[in-house]
Amino acid sequence: MIWEVFRQEKPGDYHRHVGNVHAPDRGMAELFAQIQHARRMTTNSLWVVPQDEVSEIDAEDANFGGTTDKSYRWAMTFNRVDASFAAEVAESEDEQREAAKQREEADG
Amino acid sequence: MTENHATSESTTRDEQALEALLYRLADDEFVLAERYTEWQIYAPTLESDLALSNVAQDEYGHARLWYDLLQDAFDYTEADVLWEREPADFRHSTLCELPFADDGWGDVIVRSYLYDTAERLRLEALIDSSNPTVRDRVEKVLGEEDYHREHAISWLERLAETDEGNERLQAAVDRLFPDALSLFDSGPHEEDIVATGLRTETLDDLRTAWFDTVIPTLEGHGLTVPDPDDVDRPDARGRDGSHTDDWFDMHETFTATYHELDFDQPTRLRGEEA
Repeated sequence: MIWEVFRQEKPGDYHRHVGNVHAPDRGMAELFAQIQHARRMTTNSLWVVPQDEVSEIDAEDANFGGTTDKSYRWAMTFNRVDASFAAEVAESEDEQREAAKQREEADG
Repeated sequence: MTENHATSESTTRDEQALEALLYRLADDEFVLAERYTEWQIYAPTLESDLALSNVAQDEYGHARLWYDLLQDAFDYTEADVLWEREPADFRHSTLCELPFADDGWGDVIVRSYLYDTAERLRLEALIDSSNPTVRDRVEKVLGEEDYHREHAISWLERLAETDEGNERLQAAVDRLFPDALSLFDSGPHEEDIVATGLRTETLDDLRTAWFDTVIPTLEGHGLTVPDPDDVDRPDARGRDGSHTDDWFDMHETFTATYHELDFDQPTRLRGEEA
């Protein structure tokens, strides 16, 4: 039986798929996964999941739609409007720019 | 031994006891690890191969801690404590040196279970050792030992579920139990090891605690454990330097490369001193 293994490096991170192990049951799968995918690596948590329990949606099914014109979803109409006529809008835009800059800096 | 330490009689006694204790610990770990590595690429599955290799690596690491301490405490070189030491001076239990039985995975599991249970008990009896450098190292070693016992017991439970597995485990118990008793045989300076507080339990107490754990566990899995009083003990006891012929072959094998290469001193991996 095959067990898929997902490792989380730090609290809050996503568990990322790192490989799998062959094991007859959950207990042995955990033991083997611990050796192969956790120790000697930065590991906060490990998920061990029976392969049968992982549902897959393939590319054909995942990439549906996009065949009709939905440009109305992209609200571009209000871009590049000079907001100086309304002080509160200008302030809000400044705040958003500042916040975006800080996020970028924080991401390094 | 450094000159300024070997002056008084009691200091000599302390040092001899420490040396004897460390060789028991180091040799057990080294020799068992050496045996485990024979399973590389032969274990039943890739996963079990990697798991046992990891256990072996841990045991080598623990052997290193104790051999390093011998070198620090007595000004020995690595060659003195390992590569050029006479095979008859090694103090490991004969359980560690026995070759594996031909159909052997049951042998690996039972051996590991018997050994790692004994190892936990003896390490716990070193937590309050009178020697601070021993105490420091025990913490590190104990941290890795849980996995070893969990690994052995998990396999044991599963093998015991089938008739064939049970037969193999029983054969391993019958074969290994008499040699496992040598884990608790005394070697040189045993009285001083306890008297100086290096180890806080006697070997008799450790043996009793070990019986209280391994006998009910094995019996609980449908296995028959020989009555320790009726066991026909082999002549070789390990702890006193008496060993089986297999040990001398094994020693020749693992020192062969060392002699062949004839380095001035054994090489160490980069960063290994850290």
